[in-house]
Amino acid sequence: MILCGVAITGFTVTVTCDIVTRMLSRPWLWLQEVTMTFFIYGVFIGAAAATRRNDHLYLAAIAESLRGRKRLALELFARLVVLGVALSFVWFGSLNTLDGGFKSLRMPSMTPLASLYVAIPFCGVLVALFTLEQIVNGWKNGFEDRA
Amino acid sequence: MTNGILIFLMAFLFLFLGYLGVPVAFAIIASVLVVTAFTPVSLASMMTQLFNGIDVEALLAVPFFLLVGELMTSSQVTTRMITLSQALIGHVRGGLAQVVTLFSMFFAGVSGSSAADVAVLSRSIGPDMKREGYDAGFIAALIASAATMANLIPPSIMAVVYGATGNVSIGGLFLAGVVPGLLVGFGLMIYSHFFGPVGVRKQRASFAQLSSAVKGASLPLVIPAIIMGGILGGFFTPTEAGVVAVIYIVAICIPAVNRGYFRRLPHDMAMTGLLYSIPLITIAAASAFGWMLAYLRGPTVVSGWIASAAHNDPMLIMLLLVGLFIIVGDFIDAIPAIIIFMPIILDLTTNAAINPVHMGVVIILTLAFGLITPPYGICLLMASKFTGVTFWRAMLASFPIYVVFFVAIAFTIYFPSVVLWLPKYFLPQSVGCFPNPNGSGYICPP
Repeated sequence: MILCGVAITGFTVTVTCDIVTRMLSRPWLWLQEVTMTFFIYGVFIGAAAATRRNDHLYLAAIAESLRGRKRLALELFARLVVLGVALSFVWFGSLNTLDGGFKSLRMPSMTPLASLYVAIPFCGVLVALFTLEQIVNGWKNGFEDRA
Repeated sequence: MTNGILIFLMAFLFLFLGYLGVPVAFAIIASVLVVTAFTPVSLASMMTQLFNGIDVEALLAVPFFLLVGELMTSSQVTTRMITLSQALIGHVRGGLAQVVTLFSMFFAGVSGSSAADVAVLSRSIGPDMKREGYDAGFIAALIASAATMANLIPPSIMAVVYGATGNVSIGGLFLAGVVPGLLVGFGLMIYSHFFGPVGVRKQRASFAQLSSAVKGASLPLVIPAIIMGGILGGFFTPTEAGVVAVIYIVAICIPAVNRGYFRRLPHDMAMTGLLYSIPLITIAAASAFGWMLAYLRGPTVVSGWIASAAHNDPMLIMLLLVGLFIIVGDFIDAIPAIIIFMPIILDLTTNAAINPVHMGVVIILTLAFGLITPPYGICLLMASKFTGVTFWRAMLASFPIYVVFFVAIAFTIYFPSVVLWLPKYFLPQSVGCFPNPNGSGYICPP
């Protein structure tokens, strides 16, 4: 949550500076790069935090209308799918970062695009950890209703 | 496996996982990854598609318009707008119902978020309406329906997403959304007046009360002028207009209205930081889904079906798309729907020579309607939860209100000249007009 706040505050400040420097006819070109960095990291970190808080968008809350073993099975199934996706983020996201991330550069700083691509495996690690936490807690104490 | 089977498998997996309780973004990504495994495309490259979906500067406007709504609500600046609505219209038949609609029109002008509108109204006016004897189902249905205007009256998050992914002028979409938004608003007012509960008749506000309410609400009501004035005047992009509105609220509105709020500011920033990531990770997932759909040539096939069924008649194409999106909007959220179906929309828009802004506003209006239709009417779900009524009762009460949306959709399709009048006047190039070589005015397509 704190990191989400840091990200949104970060790009609010950089967009503000971007407007001001442009109006003063002294634009700082690197500000747009920093803005997108805050923005993209904010999305992936926020997605992981939302997983922990059950805050994501859901199509239906079928599981909440169930009780006992049926609910446990459905909740576990949903978490295992999320865990699978998170591990895909870690593995394929790392491959993508190492393979394609160093072939392209960001302008004007000439930083490899990998510096942004790495947000995906980072998000995968966080989502996997939070999902495992939910599975363990849910197994012991039952699953909480969605937000 | 043939492309058709793979497309079916991808759609089936998404809906199956989604309805079993997997978060929408993860259900979409899981379905895409499974289908990618059956194609020559590498799974690692799909991660680039996820990334490309959100590496779009225009999408930065989404968190800012969410932040405007969150700050206005949390600092209780919105109560001044409610007071103004009550002073203006609280005395007529069904007074509080009219206040809900009028407030939503004002609020839609400062925030692009229907969810924030539902939260404010359900907690502030909802209890008063219950006390005055309004049916709880009607309260939830009206609040949810009125909140859809946030997606039509600028600034609209749906318009930002549509414009950013479909390469359509966001300013043009903002302006084109005004007429359908007002149609929905006035339609709801007419419905509440003639068919809604009577409520408690109140005295008309005195001139002193009215002027005090106008004075109180004047600070927040400057926000629409900042946003649209900045965009139309060419001073800001929609993203920058959003950040300027945030600065205006933090530096001017809140100190004038509620100084004590500043202690909560860090919490609200963190909360909005979390909130914006939810639609955006869904956008990332949906853009990977849309890319795979395009790779499997789904849009070409579907747009071919629609074009041949409609014999390339633009109006009929839009009607068929409205039908498709009413069904789609019943099952999936508006933002992934826009991104997943964008290749189909673009194909049909180009082939039938439909104005992209006109098509955009028709689709946005239809998806806004989807926010109150079952089973996935997110605004109705939220409103029924906040007002403490079952979804079933709220849904029954919302059925007659559908007529308002059907009329608004039909008007938007059949009267493009009225809907596109504002963008044509203020942002002519957004609707395909180009400067007259003689130097006087613009030449616009018919």
